[in-house]
Amino acid sequence: MTTSDLCLSDTRPLLLRRPPLVFSLLGLLSLAMLLANMAVGSIPFTLAEIWQALAEPPEASTAGFILWNIRIPRAIAAMFGGAYLAASGLLLQIYFKNPIVGPYILGISSGATLMVSFVMLTSITVGWTLFTPFLSTLAAFAGAYGVMLIVLTIANRVKGGATLLIVGLMMGYLCGAVSAILTAFAEKDRIKGFVLWQLGSFSGFKWDEIALLLIIGGAILVLLYLQSKPLNAFLLGEEYAASMGVDIRRFRLLILLCACALAGMVTSMAGPVAFIGMAVPHMARLSFGTSDNRILIPGACLMGGLVASLCDLIARTVMAPVELPLSAITAFFGAPIVIALLLQRRVKL
Amino acid sequence: MNGTTGQPVIEACDLSVGYKNRPVARDLNFSCHAGQFVSLLGPNGAGKTTLLRTLSRHRPPQGGEIRVQGRPLDRLPALELARIMAVVLTDKIAPPLFTIFEFVALGRYPHTDFLGRLGPKDRVTITSSLAAVHALDLADRPFADLSDGERQKVLVARALAQEPRVLLLDEPTIHLDLKHRVEVMTILRDLCRNKGITVIASLHDVDVAAKVSDRVALIRDGGLVAWGTPETVLSQQAVTALYDFDKAEFNRHLGGIELRGAGDRGRAFVVGGMGSGALVYRMLTKKGFALATGVIHENDLDCFVARSLGAECIAVDPMEPINEAAIDRAKTLMAACDLVVDCGFPVGPVNEANLSLVQAALERGTTVLSLRGELPPGIRVNGGGAPVLCADAGHLIETLETFPFRRPMTAMTAHDEELRCNP
Repeated sequence: MTTSDLCLSDTRPLLLRRPPLVFSLLGLLSLAMLLANMAVGSIPFTLAEIWQALAEPPEASTAGFILWNIRIPRAIAAMFGGAYLAASGLLLQIYFKNPIVGPYILGISSGATLMVSFVMLTSITVGWTLFTPFLSTLAAFAGAYGVMLIVLTIANRVKGGATLLIVGLMMGYLCGAVSAILTAFAEKDRIKGFVLWQLGSFSGFKWDEIALLLIIGGAILVLLYLQSKPLNAFLLGEEYAASMGVDIRRFRLLILLCACALAGMVTSMAGPVAFIGMAVPHMARLSFGTSDNRILIPGACLMGGLVASLCDLIARTVMAPVELPLSAITAFFGAPIVIALLLQRRVKL
Repeated sequence: MNGTTGQPVIEACDLSVGYKNRPVARDLNFSCHAGQFVSLLGPNGAGKTTLLRTLSRHRPPQGGEIRVQGRPLDRLPALELARIMAVVLTDKIAPPLFTIFEFVALGRYPHTDFLGRLGPKDRVTITSSLAAVHALDLADRPFADLSDGERQKVLVARALAQEPRVLLLDEPTIHLDLKHRVEVMTILRDLCRNKGITVIASLHDVDVAAKVSDRVALIRDGGLVAWGTPETVLSQQAVTALYDFDKAEFNRHLGGIELRGAGDRGRAFVVGGMGSGALVYRMLTKKGFALATGVIHENDLDCFVARSLGAECIAVDPMEPINEAAIDRAKTLMAACDLVVDCGFPVGPVNEANLSLVQAALERGTTVLSLRGELPPGIRVNGGGAPVLCADAGHLIETLETFPFRRPMTAMTAHDEELRCNP
């Protein structure tokens, strides 16, 4: 057997190789989903109308107003929110060497929720006007990171994926309990906002929030892509990674910071969104047929965006005019996937 | 490549390894050179794994210093160390959705660019690494499908892809079947011989270690008990002390471990020699007999095996005819035995006197089992009983299991036990 035989997968024409094929397919589907999210709604638009409205300034027509201020921000938020959650889940799955972890399950989202509830339900932050626009983002990040630190401390003491899951669930309950107590004491109008936020939704994004989402999240994704080589080494476990030249301490910190920043940011803006972070990395692994993070990071992002967009579309159309909570839809689609994976023994707890 | 000339690839100076408040082994001094196969031997918990993990910088040393190619280990940049040293650990790893080629390619980590892209040279190295462990045919298989033995070979290939000068392996043959055990050891030895790689491995099989190693380190009781070539270090006493053998003995001439039996089924006198006795000794020991044997020659295979099994031996100098005095001592010893086994040794001028032992046993009325298909030459069957003729070892075992012995098989007395231990 010669070297060229061994690298069969690299000598096939570019388009016939699996990753480019899947990438193209996901790209096309995402584009279609983006258009669908613009076209479908209480006032449906045709492609021609969308095209015309996009060419004009937002004030020119009703269609332009709806597209520029409601549907496009929402479509972009869903696309990138899903992508970031998927990337965050991928990182956590590699970090914990456990396929059933994700930002929601590990309590990261609950931690973010808790801190956001402080901001939204209490008057602690009154007067911090300088931070107001980013306050819930910062709070979510702090909450996500705080819970992560606690889970991590416990994870270092106990081995075994099932224990970790239970610790994450318990953290979720604790955070939920504190949020519930805060709710009991909060003023009525604040509660409504918080409850709506807690259901999870990509609606109501303003353009400056979108900009924040794109710039910070984009920078983190680029950073992560550049780390795909040590991430691959990490798949063999910390000890092998260290023996191959990965600076483990620095790298661990980096992964967790990135994972918490991504999940915390999305949670702060869209509320806790379940299952995307856990299920999408698996879907990406299986459809690309690889664990290579150079493919999986962009792949999981694309797929996360696609799935989140689809869920958002379903959430706001199926029972229109009532909008269903996003987390309900993602759970309907994510939970069966995780169970199926467990049954097929593709993943072990 | 096994000499001690030139700079050591890795050396330990007053090294202490272990955990913060619990040093496992201290004051370790040794140096390993290019192309040497170094085995770490010792009972479980002696610190072999801890030492390996300290050498690979997975654990900080508790004292002393490790130098790699003359430079302090703690000051080597991680990537540079990865180009000098690679490890094969006992951790069960199961990276999902990796082909063997991709898995081994991860070993190119310290050589590839920031995205880990493989160049032509990387591919050649990966292929030759797979070839070195006889695993080229596995290249396209998924990692998850491998058997234990195949996985171990592939783990070695991944380490080789780092193009290391030193390979550290923790229990590389544990959980492997015999075929892969032998194959992995052969592969490692070839790496030393052909590529000049220094292999440092913790091993359980002292007999295998004796056969492949250039240096062995005996580790126990918190320190390096002995260091050197296996030919000088692995004496019977050293190995017995290392593992606290009670019912076993290592013999460097035989290159293996002999297992002693309980010795409570009675006492057998074996008339052997010329290598005819070795199998019979082991078989009788296994069946629970205490052994006495004679008259055999020193340096005969039988002599080594019998002594390792704890038999009482009547032995004469090599090449000398068996003398009257030895025969008399053998007869005395035989008188206290429950049965006599004639191993069917070839008879010649130097050992024909042994036939008189068989004759004497028959005349005393002791049961005699003979591995000759026919009556031993010169044996007269008058007065005493006839020997039980066994065609082969299998027949001998069957006879032993069913034969009604004339003397009841009693447990040995304390006196006999003492006699056996201190002849």
